[in-house]
Amino acid sequence: MTLFKKELLENWRNKKWIWVPLVIILLSIMDPITSYYLPQIIDSVGGLPEGSTLEMPEFAPPEVIMMSLSQLSSLGVLVLVLMSMGTIAGERKSGVTELILVKPVAYRNYITAKWVSLLMLVWISLFLGLLTSWYYINLLFGDLSFVELLQITFFYGLWLTLVVSLSIFYNALIKTPGLVAFLTILTIMVMSLINQVFNHVLEWFPNNLSSYILDMLMTDQLSTDLIATACVTMILSIALVVASIYTFRVKD
Amino acid sequence: MEAFNWGLIAPILVIQGILIIVAMIDLIRTDYTNGPKWLWVLIIIFVSTLGPILYFVLGRRQR
Repeated sequence: MTLFKKELLENWRNKKWIWVPLVIILLSIMDPITSYYLPQIIDSVGGLPEGSTLEMPEFAPPEVIMMSLSQLSSLGVLVLVLMSMGTIAGERKSGVTELILVKPVAYRNYITAKWVSLLMLVWISLFLGLLTSWYYINLLFGDLSFVELLQITFFYGLWLTLVVSLSIFYNALIKTPGLVAFLTILTIMVMSLINQVFNHVLEWFPNNLSSYILDMLMTDQLSTDLIATACVTMILSIALVVASIYTFRVKD
Repeated sequence: MEAFNWGLIAPILVIQGILIIVAMIDLIRTDYTNGPKWLWVLIIIFVSTLGPILYFVLGRRQR
């Protein structure tokens, strides 16, 4: 518990509590606003050639929130990975870890304190980001119920949880922060590749979460696929944390 | 063309402003950064949005 408090304090000191939520909010409102102003933007950069007409697509609220999510899946994940790459690896490099582990602290507590404090940060940021996005969508595009927002946040948060767990796992394995970030992103890319190739076999692969979320918004009901994928993602995340505790114990 | 609604864009500008200010305060208060301090000042102020993020991710030295 003290370790957890120390983590929270540290994340506050290095301003993560300020900039991560802000960046996530920025990322999630960028797309709704730019797609709303697309006609004006085209006009202001010179407009379309004479005579050509471009039908502006009318976006449905679910599509817009999916834009926010895809923005978060690319840039958001990148930011999260870069933000978390040094949590353990950096501390080990500078020797803080030894200072902590000299005291009677279980490796288990050390890792889980890191994991939980990061997750708190990520989930709160995600919620704030999607909340502002939801506000804009209701303002500009149309209704999206608050319950739906909560569902989206929950299921999408699981995906980010997996990303954080992956990052923690590599953190426990490797001491160089840059390499941690690289391997995490590489793994995510390989996962999406696997997902594309074996899509018909791996129906419950974590990468499918967003598409099932879209399904849920379109059909207005929770599909078993979505729930199963969510479970798989959760199990994978927990497995990664357990694995990282184990490797950390072996390595140190 | 309807009037451009600044109220919608304002939050983005505010968030960017906060990011810049927080990054600057942090930069002034720390003693060591990766790379020269004046360079970070330029990056934070002139590279919009990305500058402060870059500073937080790369510029702060792990203690």
